[in-house]
Amino acid sequence: MNPPTMKLVTIVCEAHARGPVTDLLRKVGAHGWTLFPVEGEGARGDRPADIPEFTNLQIQAIVPSAVATTLLECLARDFFPRYGMIAFAADVQVVRTEKF
Amino acid sequence: MEILESVRINLLSPAVLFFALGIFAALVKSDLKFPEPLYIGLTIYLLVAIGFKGGVAFAEAGVAKVWLPATAAMVLGALIPLWTYPVLRHIGRLPAVDAGAIAAHYGSVSAVTFIAAINYLDAIGQPYERYASAFLAVMESPAILVGIVLAKLSARQNGAPVGPALRTALRESLSGRSVLLLVGALAIGFLAGPAGMEKVGPFFVTPFQGVLALFLLEMGTVAGRRLKDLRRVGPFLLGFGVLVPLVNGALGVWLGQHTGLGIGGATLLGVLAASASYIAAPAAIRVALPEANPTLYLTAALAITFPFNLTLGIPFCLALARHLFSQT
Repeated sequence: MNPPTMKLVTIVCEAHARGPVTDLLRKVGAHGWTLFPVEGEGARGDRPADIPEFTNLQIQAIVPSAVATTLLECLARDFFPRYGMIAFAADVQVVRTEKF
Repeated sequence: MEILESVRINLLSPAVLFFALGIFAALVKSDLKFPEPLYIGLTIYLLVAIGFKGGVAFAEAGVAKVWLPATAAMVLGALIPLWTYPVLRHIGRLPAVDAGAIAAHYGSVSAVTFIAAINYLDAIGQPYERYASAFLAVMESPAILVGIVLAKLSARQNGAPVGPALRTALRESLSGRSVLLLVGALAIGFLAGPAGMEKVGPFFVTPFQGVLALFLLEMGTVAGRRLKDLRRVGPFLLGFGVLVPLVNGALGVWLGQHTGLGIGGATLLGVLAASASYIAAPAAIRVALPEANPTLYLTAALAITFPFNLTLGIPFCLALARHLFSQT
């Protein structure tokens, strides 16, 4: 078995960006996403994720390579100036490719 | 001397003392942190309890008595950004988007401050209109929309339309859990009436003070963790965060007196006007005005105005209401 390679895009953002980010995922053609609350420290200092409204989210989606490129371009152009967030992509090997 | 005594009673209430303990815990970097489900559980309890009790009192008082002060409360909330915005813009020299965002926070209200005020009035035996939580419900959203319009209008040179931002803010501020629970519980209380209160009273009334104390312990840690941001917001916002509640509080008390409320009700309307939202408004503003700097509005509302109102703002509103009513 030689599973095909796709892109895993990971977005770590403030909770308030959730709606706009998931809307964008659908718009660029992602068929699904997974989301979980996370905390950490970054270039802009400490982000105390003490109450749900101020928490950080990690959103992950597995998409074809072209979709990943569009997604990261849209994020960099429209989202990075407005929200506290980072995003990156990595190659992953996928089974059940029809899900993505 | 009477005001000093009422300040002393407020400062020594379990709720405020637990808030202070929370701030202390944050300052000494204690590992105290409420698990998220507990925090959410406590907010749900407090909002439902306050909404339900308000709804029952609303049913008892009747619409004829409530509509005028409720409308006045809503209008006051919407108007507060109109005077705070120019102050922020011209005296504070803040960019339009930050001025609009902060103005929205100060026009909107803090449910926890209101709940603490009710708790305080109960503790000192001052009667009040129990349907006042209806004012809380109607004051949350209008100011957020006005603040966004102000920010967008002065930033219009860049061609951004106002409509979409307003729609997102409206959706955000009306579907948020606080407005939903509060308005929902008010409606349920209104429909269930005093007979319904008999059934759920032991759960929603007796444990209320203890739950509030526990919740304020958590809010103390949340506010305390943001105290270090005070250095970043500058002296103007510090002064703004303390003086604006006094002015708005006085406006609210005066308006309450002139729309038929008693001393307790006027105090509560004053506290609502004095309070600044730090849950509903940030959520809506972050989506509608993402360019606004969250450190400014969150620090002002959460680390300056909230502790100020909790300790001194509430007794100030009561003292002012007592003074105004003694003049007539």
